[in-house]
Amino acid sequence: MTPNLSNFQFSSKPEDDMILIERAKQNPAHFAPLYKKYHDAIFRYVFKRVDEEEAAYDITSCVFVKAIINLPKYEYRGVPFSSWLFRIAKSELYQSFRDKKAKRTISIDSVQIGRVMEEFSIDENEHKREILLKVLPLLKDKQLQLIEMRFFEKRSFREMGEILELTENNAKVKTFRALIKLKALYAQHNPLK
Amino acid sequence: MIKILVNRMQPSKADIAKRQDFNYILSALPKKNLLYSPWFYGAMGFSSLAGLFYFIAAYS
Repeated sequence: MTPNLSNFQFSSKPEDDMILIERAKQNPAHFAPLYKKYHDAIFRYVFKRVDEEEAAYDITSCVFVKAIINLPKYEYRGVPFSSWLFRIAKSELYQSFRDKKAKRTISIDSVQIGRVMEEFSIDENEHKREILLKVLPLLKDKQLQLIEMRFFEKRSFREMGEILELTENNAKVKTFRALIKLKALYAQHNPLK
Repeated sequence: MIKILVNRMQPSKADIAKRQDFNYILSALPKKNLLYSPWFYGAMGFSSLAGLFYFIAAYS
């Protein structure tokens, strides 16, 4: 039976998640508050990386099915539950790309493009934006993930590390390298250097 | 090739919430296999022993 969620108050404390997780381990029906709490964030994470909305809903459902199946194995070791879910989402996404159920997509808005250009210390104009959009897919996928998380989703290095299974420092170094690579690709493709 | 979508329309929070379906998540859980549960082995063991004792008692 699904618990009534109408009066449920969500909290962002990991300890509160742990209480819910322990209850859900006893009875999968008690996973409902965690599902309700994280559904939106996981959907948005997936949606930004696939071309079709329906595919994003399907992948999001697969993430939660995997999560509820693997929940008995989950132990809190400093990695928040949300990051554990994002890790599952990441692997489900790549499975969908391999099965050709979804197409790898980068969803980006003008503000985010501006943020990357600011990082490059270049003035923003339509032509330069086009070059940047042209060179982004040329990055290796791991580098692209780092750029996406850091500049398009404004995640902290700590959170990026938790999702990508890296240390915080390693996430920082790899993001810096990805940015250098992007800068080099941009310079190569910009005839008006 | 990676597709780039600029200024893509995002579904609203309410639209995403409408698509929540926890019953589907529960229904996708694999059903417990009773065949290999301790209950199965317990019941089988008990009935085998009972049968054995009955057999010994009946023919001794």
